[in-house]
Amino acid sequence: MIFDKPTSVDLLAAISHFLDTKIKSEVPPHLAFKLRIVKNVLNIVIREIEKGEELSNEVISLLQSLMESDTPSIETLALLIKDKKIDLEDQNLKDLLVTLSKNKIAVDNPNYSTFKKLIK
Amino acid sequence: MTEELSKALQNKLLEVNIEGKILNLVPLTGGASKEIWRFEVQTNHETNEYILRKGSGIEGPLAIKTSDEALLQQEVRKIKAPVPEIVAVSSLKEALGDSYIMKFVEGESIPRKVLRDAEFKDALPLLAFQCGEAIAKIHEVDVRKLDYLQEKTPIDQLNDLYATYESFNQPSPVFEYTYLWLKDQDFGDTQSSLVHGDFRLGNIIVSNEGLESIIDWELAHIGNPFQDLGWICGNSWRFGQNEKVVGGFGELEDLLRGYNSISQFQVDEDLVRTWQVFGTFRWGVICLIQASAHLNGSVNSVEKAAIGRRVSETELDIVDLLFLGGK
Repeated sequence: MIFDKPTSVDLLAAISHFLDTKIKSEVPPHLAFKLRIVKNVLNIVIREIEKGEELSNEVISLLQSLMESDTPSIETLALLIKDKKIDLEDQNLKDLLVTLSKNKIAVDNPNYSTFKKLIK
Repeated sequence: MTEELSKALQNKLLEVNIEGKILNLVPLTGGASKEIWRFEVQTNHETNEYILRKGSGIEGPLAIKTSDEALLQQEVRKIKAPVPEIVAVSSLKEALGDSYIMKFVEGESIPRKVLRDAEFKDALPLLAFQCGEAIAKIHEVDVRKLDYLQEKTPIDQLNDLYATYESFNQPSPVFEYTYLWLKDQDFGDTQSSLVHGDFRLGNIIVSNEGLESIIDWELAHIGNPFQDLGWICGNSWRFGQNEKVVGGFGELEDLLRGYNSISQFQVDEDLVRTWQVFGTFRWGVICLIQASAHLNGSVNSVEKAAIGRRVSETELDIVDLLFLGGK
């Protein structure tokens, strides 16, 4: 990247801090709920920038060995399942679907109860 | 705007012989698709509290008209299930739009408050049984009087959900797998019943004695009643209280004891589990629908945008249920 500091994560974290320290106490109750959503969205973006590539790569490499393809993708796997061109009882498939779902939630909402239960 | 609404409320109430001054009209945070207002009416003798629920008048892929919600609640009330008393109904072409006025019900509907506040501590252990009873009562409503509701078999619904998912062009291996899995399941033999469609914390009013009222009927339809039992057990509606299978507050055993004490159809835990997977898939598709309203440009809403990233919650819940022994 050719860009100076602050990084995109630093910038988003600054906004997040501003919302917490300066805005949160100022908004009326019906907007407090929306502000929480805004904060959640910022945090999704921060996590995706920080960990998105690694989490995606882990799934891609599982896809590679499962599908024996050089250009595996989520879309192709969805299609293979849809057309039943893959054994639905294959443990590797089930494991992949678990890893895929865990890695997505690790960005979308790592506080989600099922995720916390599964990584214990 | 409030003045105009006040006037429209006053006129509507006059039609049902309630004459009085509208006071303290305030908006409440409600569902994403509805306006909800609380107000008081001061007559010569007394002051009473009411709620206005107002929809857009547009029927969604799953949602019914707000005025139809009112009509069906009147039917449900006849069989003495706990629903609010509807005072007046307005159609889309009237000043109040597609809406209804109901008597205010004392209690709490916000899930996290119900689960956390000391006030409800004694009510929570009773709630799963009471919900089971109430769900069974809903299922006893005479469906011949509900001809404005769509009838859908589980397979019809499943195919509709799948078609909706497919239309968004965002292939999900987990949803493809879930669809095939669900197509192979037995959804339980029963007769077509009124299904609330969204029975969970948030859509029930709870007091310190337990269940007071069932609200928010916009996803009601005619179909396999066991859907309501699986829905409230979905992890999406446990609000972080993962270990309490029923709505984040109760045990499945208690829900089923309540249900089976009234219903002529007996339900076991395995059947609920199947419907739990169904419900989780359904909520996933509803998240997709909500997010699509933002993505296709029909609304610009950070709320609706954010819900697109909640689809992964339902995928994780499904793989947990199907592969990891999740409850």
